Amino acid sequence: MKDLKKLVRDFWYGKPAEEMRMADLYIQPTGLYKHREWRGVKDTFYYMYMIWGYNYLHMVMDVMKYGSLIDFVKGLWRYRWMGQTYIPVLHWFDRGLEGLRGPALRGSAWHYRAMVCSTIRQFQTMFQADTKLHGGKKNDHYYHTLAIKETFWGGIFYGWSDKFIAQPLEMIPYFVTCHVNSHVVLNYIDAAQSIGLPGDPCPMCQAEEGLFVLDDVPDYSPLFFTVNEACDGSVGSTILQDWFFDKPLFALPMTMQFDNEEVMKNTMNEIEQCWAFMEEQTGVPMNMDLLKQRINEQNALQEFEWEKWDVAANTNSYPICGVAQALYRIYQSQYGTWGANDIWHQTDKKIRKIMENAVVNKINTFPKTRHRVIAWSCAPLYYSNWCSWAYNAWGLNVIINMDSLMFDMTLRTDTKENILYDMAKYHLWAPMRRMAVGGLHHIFELWAYMERFNCDMVAMYDQLQCKGMQGVHGLFEDEFRERNINAFWVPHALPDSRTVSRAEIRKLISDYMSTVMGEEPIDPSLLDFDDSQTW
Amino acid sequence: MRDLKHLIAFEKLLEEANNPLVRQAKEEGLKALGYTCYFMPEVLLDLPGCFSVRLRAPGCTSPDIATYYLSGRVCHYGRSLFERALEGGYNFLDAQMATETCTVTCRFQEHLGYMDVIQNPDFFVDFTDVPFKKTKNAIDHYKTELQYHVLNPLHEKFGIDTSDEAIRKAIEQHNEVCNLIQEIGSYRKLDNPTITGFEFQIIQLVSLTCPKHLILPMLRETAKEMKTRKPDKKPTYRCKVILAGSECDDPYFTQLIEGCGALVVADRHCYGSIESRVPIEIQDGEDALEAVARHYLKTSQCPRFMPQDDMRARKQFLADLAKEYKADGIIVESNKFCEYWSYERTIDTIILPRDFGIPVCSIEKEYINGASGQLRTRFQAFVESIEIKKIQEAI
Repeated sequence: MKDLKKLVRDFWYGKPAEEMRMADLYIQPTGLYKHREWRGVKDTFYYMYMIWGYNYLHMVMDVMKYGSLIDFVKGLWRYRWMGQTYIPVLHWFDRGLEGLRGPALRGSAWHYRAMVCSTIRQFQTMFQADTKLHGGKKNDHYYHTLAIKETFWGGIFYGWSDKFIAQPLEMIPYFVTCHVNSHVVLNYIDAAQSIGLPGDPCPMCQAEEGLFVLDDVPDYSPLFFTVNEACDGSVGSTILQDWFFDKPLFALPMTMQFDNEEVMKNTMNEIEQCWAFMEEQTGVPMNMDLLKQRINEQNALQEFEWEKWDVAANTNSYPICGVAQALYRIYQSQYGTWGANDIWHQTDKKIRKIMENAVVNKINTFPKTRHRVIAWSCAPLYYSNWCSWAYNAWGLNVIINMDSLMFDMTLRTDTKENILYDMAKYHLWAPMRRMAVGGLHHIFELWAYMERFNCDMVAMYDQLQCKGMQGVHGLFEDEFRERNINAFWVPHALPDSRTVSRAEIRKLISDYMSTVMGEEPIDPSLLDFDDSQTW
Repeated sequence: MRDLKHLIAFEKLLEEANNPLVRQAKEEGLKALGYTCYFMPEVLLDLPGCFSVRLRAPGCTSPDIATYYLSGRVCHYGRSLFERALEGGYNFLDAQMATETCTVTCRFQEHLGYMDVIQNPDFFVDFTDVPFKKTKNAIDHYKTELQYHVLNPLHEKFGIDTSDEAIRKAIEQHNEVCNLIQEIGSYRKLDNPTITGFEFQIIQLVSLTCPKHLILPMLRETAKEMKTRKPDKKPTYRCKVILAGSECDDPYFTQLIEGCGALVVADRHCYGSIESRVPIEIQDGEDALEAVARHYLKTSQCPRFMPQDDMRARKQFLADLAKEYKADGIIVESNKFCEYWSYERTIDTIILPRDFGIPVCSIEKEYINGASGQLRTRFQAFVESIEIKKIQEAI
């Protein structure tokens, strides 16, 4: 009778965490599932209809909404990164949302949905303007699309957003694909090295070059805008990109010593010169009212982000998992908004509802939490969902991460001077810059954020080819010891899964948890499994 | 060729950063100011009352403690400097005038400020922001930065006279050094040069690392001596090359190249003379600081510069240099883990032979070149390939 009751309970609510044995679901080494994860009746059906069904439907609808089906098919056929990543998208959801229930499942899934929608908008923007898909012809879309480096903040062109779309060059072909299918990028890294580039520069920049070497970059714009963010690698990679691209190029360099007040004038002047270049090349003047409008829309997103941080810091009811928080935030803040009703605003409305409900009802959204973790530095792109694994295996709940905290500001719109000043400041605080390769005092903002978010542990990413972060490795070790902070390192090579495998990352964390922390895993099945072929 | 009178003395001066001339200047009461990058104008650090020392870490083969702090995956140069600092080799410094012009030297200098490494109670580190362009906006910005982060602290902390008049005086001294080095270097343009790349690099390095007023008499004497120096009757080299690339303050690396038969006739790298020994010209209507700011941005061929024209002009610059110095090829080197030069070297290796017909030997090296056997093989093969090319052209 007792067993039957348990069976019914497990069926209705899903198994308790310690009985889940998540890894038993995997078909090793593919990472595919033998069957869907049973999360109880309500959550399983929510997943089936509102996540799988809804997203598959919208992956078709968005393709038509943001371009044409024909261009989509041509792109799918023409570009390796496209063909190899569209099918595994929902598996990417599965990996990130493993083990989640209730508001955490819903909130995180809506974040994923927003990223997919924006991704579709972006590749359709490229495809509809792409001369490679249109027999070499430069159509009207071509002349109304701007190619920008992926670390270039799209908001710089808000003032033209009614006529032009600023489309990051590498965000979809490189950045997004790494998360969805980690194998795709390896070919590009190898291609970059095949023309003589050494193997030690940042693999992100290497992969960006590899796209060009293999002629796998859409040709969708008459212009190219580049930037020195976040590091020497971005400057270096521009050298090769200019040679491959051979288009009129504008470089928007950001000052390095960005805390000094006197550097602001230079950065503001550079932004104005960028606008002047844009006007000169296109003949279209900037619309200042539109710029202000978009900035205000972006500010609304930031204000809600602060509300989210407040809930994450002070309650157990924050409904976003670590991977969704990190990716959504970096994606949204870097790409920028395209209207008051764009996918970011729509998503935030949904999240507000889910979050308020969780807070009011005091729902513990991550009940397996043993440690509140802050993740610092740059994450492994091929294993951004390591935090879902860490939560299920060890109860390590990544509350917040460095990339989320970069753009901690709203922008003023009262005067042109203030707009320029704040835009400059915003760009200076770019991803991987302010708290990664920026000054030491910013890198050590970690301690303040740790306190602010009530975290008791640090997941310290160790990007092996990032010279900036490698250059503070020892100081972090010293500081962790001095401050008596529990911290584990997560070594990786950003997109390159061959340098440090997912299994090695898991082993290092597990070793730390068992030997240093002396803890037992929540789900022992997750300690050792083979996912080497996982997308 | 007959030995240069001061060459052995120069070589000895390069054995350590705190060399006898540095010690003598310190005893005179001058302030020693360290720097690592071309973009920290040495002329401003040579104002009356202080002197510049471009930091090197000769003989540092195993930077163990620095590797703990900076990891083994960053440039050996940055790690070696930090190791030398941790060993106490830079305790003579009164300040480090820093730039964030490449990540690893930036980190090295940040550590100096953060960790209280330099055992000198007055020691401080100040960072200057260096632009990535050569435009008017960039020059204005650079000038402001030099005022805020070089001149003001020197005046406030050490009472250095940073007036326009004082800067002009420093420029005068700086230009004399430049003219002497250029004069000595010009003998590399001869059909049969009367100075080797090794000798020249030693002379260039002492001019970067020793107090100017103390090294100048020896440079003057060397320049005079060069006027009458006779070349070897039969050239000892098989071809002439330009050495271009990243940080390179090791004359024995040049010696290694020359030992393989390639005479190094021009040095376009971070510690080279091609850019750093161009005299500063003050144009009409300019104040001295503005002239310094303009000069250091305009003369540089660093791969940091991002505008399209600058990126492309760098290739033409190297090609013109090859013509001017009658070089048969170019050796493009980059230190392992140097991001800028990894990319610049790759593109140079493709563009220079393709668009300008100049043979290129592309190599990656360490700060201290333990792998000399491998490099020697590379250089020997390069020399042979140039000789074969010459034979084929003659047919």
